[in-house]
Amino acid sequence: MMVLRMVLLVVLHAMLLADVAPFGQWTRPQWALWALFMVPPQLGPFTKLLAGFGLGLALDIAMGTYGHHMVAGTVLGGFLPTLHQLLSPREGYEVTQRPNFRDLGANWVIVTTFIGALVFHLTLAVVDTWHAHLMIGALAPAVTSAAWTTACCLLLHLLAAPSRTRTT
Amino acid sequence: MRNLWLLLQRHAFLLAFVALLGLSLSVLVRHDGSARSSWFALTGGASASLEAQRRQWSDYLQLAERNAALSEENAALRSRLLSLEMSGVWKADSSLGWRSRAGVLIKAPDGLPSTMALARLGAADSIHIGDGVLASGVAFGTVVDVGERYSRILPLLNTAGTWSCRIGRNGAVAPLRWDCRDPERFQLSDVPRYSTAQPGDTVYTSGFDLRFPEGIPVGTVQTTSQSGSDFQQVQVAPLLDFTSARHLEFLAPLGSAERDVLAQPLRTP
Repeated sequence: MMVLRMVLLVVLHAMLLADVAPFGQWTRPQWALWALFMVPPQLGPFTKLLAGFGLGLALDIAMGTYGHHMVAGTVLGGFLPTLHQLLSPREGYEVTQRPNFRDLGANWVIVTTFIGALVFHLTLAVVDTWHAHLMIGALAPAVTSAAWTTACCLLLHLLAAPSRTRTT
Repeated sequence: MRNLWLLLQRHAFLLAFVALLGLSLSVLVRHDGSARSSWFALTGGASASLEAQRRQWSDYLQLAERNAALSEENAALRSRLLSLEMSGVWKADSSLGWRSRAGVLIKAPDGLPSTMALARLGAADSIHIGDGVLASGVAFGTVVDVGERYSRILPLLNTAGTWSCRIGRNGAVAPLRWDCRDPERFQLSDVPRYSTAQPGDTVYTSGFDLRFPEGIPVGTVQTTSQSGSDFQQVQVAPLLDFTSARHLEFLAPLGSAERDVLAQPLRTP
C-alpha cells in the first residue's frame, strides 16, 4: 500500500501537479512528499531511509532531474526517524497508529509535515543553487514552498481521511 | 574482526545514510553541470587549503635543512663575490718595490712530493715565470709555467724547490726545503751554528731568491739539531695548510727587467 501510494503520487506529481505553482517559485509544493509522511512512525529507520531515497529516485526518473530529488529525499528519509523520535508520545507509538489526524492528532501531523517539508525544500534549494552567493535568495522561497507543501499534504490528509460512520 | 563487525552494526544506519547520500550526490554531480562546477570549486578550494596547510607544516619541519642549504649557498656566493673582487688589476706598492694581483687556486698540492698547483691566472693577466705566490699572506710557492689563462705553481710543499729564508727579522739566512716525510714540517738546512733559533721563532722569506720580497712569513721554528760541526738543522712548522688554500696573491717586482738584467752573472771581457 505504501509503495503503491508513493508510485501514484509520483506519477501524479510528475504529470499533472509539478507545474501547479500559483505564486511562482514561492509556492512549489511537493505533493509526493505526502507518501513519505504517511509512512507509519513505528517502522524501523532503514525503511524510512530507503523510502526517502526511493521517493527521490522515482521523482528524478519521472521529472528528469538527475540527483536533485534523490539527495533531498535521502536527507529527509535519514531525518524522519529522528523527527518521529522527537515528536513521539510519552508512551511511544502504538503498532496500529497511523500518521493522520485521527490517530496522532492535528498538532503532530502539522508539525511533522512542516518540519519534514522544510528539510526537503531546504535541501532541494541547496542542490538547485549550489553556489553560496545564490543560497540566501533561495532560502525564503524554500520556506514558503514548505508551508505550501504542508498545506497540500493537509488537504490530502483530509481527502484520504476515513469517513466516520454515524451511529444511532 | 568481531569488534569491527559490532562497530559497523552499531553505526549501520549512519553508514547506509552516508552511502545513499554519496550515491545521490554522485548522480547529481555527474549530470548537473552547475553542481559539478560548484563541487569541483568547493573540493578544489578545500584541497588547496589543505595543501597550503601541509606545505606550511612541511616548511616548518624542514626549516633546519633549509637553513643549512641557505648557509651553504650563502658561503658559496660569498666566496664567488670574493673571487670577483679579487680578480682585479695589479696593485703596486712602490715603497716595497712589488706589485700584487689576486688569483684563485684551482688545484691545490695534495702532499705528494712532486705535485704542482694550478691557478686561474696566466700570461694574459701579466703573470710571468718566477713570480712569487702568497696564500693568506703566507709564502705559497712560485710560478714555474704560464699558459694563456692558467699558471703552474711550484709550492713550498714540493721536494723540487729550495727557498731562501731568514730566522726572525734579523737572524741567519738558510735554504728551506721539504724532505717529503711530513707535510707539517719543513727543514732549514745549513743554518750557521752561531745562529740562535728558538722554538716558536717565526721564519720569514729573505728575499734573496728574488721570488718574494723579504719578510713574508713562512713558518715557525719547531726544533733545532746539530748537523755536522759548523751547522745546525732547524725543523719549521709551516703557517699555511697547503692542501686547503684557495685564494692566492701573485707578486711581481716593479721594474723587474732592470733587476733581472743586473741579476745575471757578470760577463767579464
